[in-house]
Amino acid sequence: MDQQKVDMFIMSNAKFFESHSINMIRERLLHLDDSKWAMVYSVPLKDPTTSLIVSILAGGLGIDRFIIGDTGLGVFKLLTCGGLGIWTIVDWFIIQKATKDKNLEKIQQYLY
Amino acid sequence: MALGKIKLYLFILFACAAGYIWVYINTLHSFIDEKATEVCLIKKVSNIPCPSCGSTRSLISLLNGNFSQALYFNPFGYFFAVGMLILPIWIIFDLVTHKSSFFIIYNKAIVFLRKPIYAIPLSLIIIFNWIWNILKGV
Repeated sequence: MDQQKVDMFIMSNAKFFESHSINMIRERLLHLDDSKWAMVYSVPLKDPTTSLIVSILAGGLGIDRFIIGDTGLGVFKLLTCGGLGIWTIVDWFIIQKATKDKNLEKIQQYLY
Repeated sequence: MALGKIKLYLFILFACAAGYIWVYINTLHSFIDEKATEVCLIKKVSNIPCPSCGSTRSLISLLNGNFSQALYFNPFGYFFAVGMLILPIWIIFDLVTHKSSFFIIYNKAIVFLRKPIYAIPLSLIIIFNWIWNILKGV
């Protein structure tokens, strides 16, 4: 794919991924066929900051897990009062990384 | 999709172990004085019970054989009782026989849960339970 396009994509979406995976994404995008551009660009990525805010406000109900697409864990978190309150607090710290991992998982289906 | 098989199994085994320890700790005290072991963040912050507040008391009532009292405290207690009895046995059976029957069913259940046809009624059940929890002040 066109280098300019790829760099634009990386620049506007860098905050959605872990910094160490950005290089890998860039390499894969450069080797990607042009026909996949529209699909890659329309992948619904979740903002880590949004999920952090939701986690702080409604973490006890597991809404943060539902938002990033972890339905199973979300149901579990909802039914256990946020994992007896402990999981809620743990998630305040790991939800951003979990969101970024989810985003990587989502975009990876188009990269290979 | 979300978790690997081994990770999911370890997570559920850990959660069940935590659940058993939690219920055991709560049976040591008289649970009428439950303020001491209350952990729900929502209830502590806002003084409003969450949809699953009262599950511990429900489980302890079940252990004592008070089925109607368990239903009154929180109907989800029955789900927990069934889950905590079945899941560890199922997962250990899976691990011993090198099968992944639970993992397959878990992933299928998630696909079903995402469909609005199943998701909306289930969320309504949880919301009605929440309203009931607030009204009876669990």
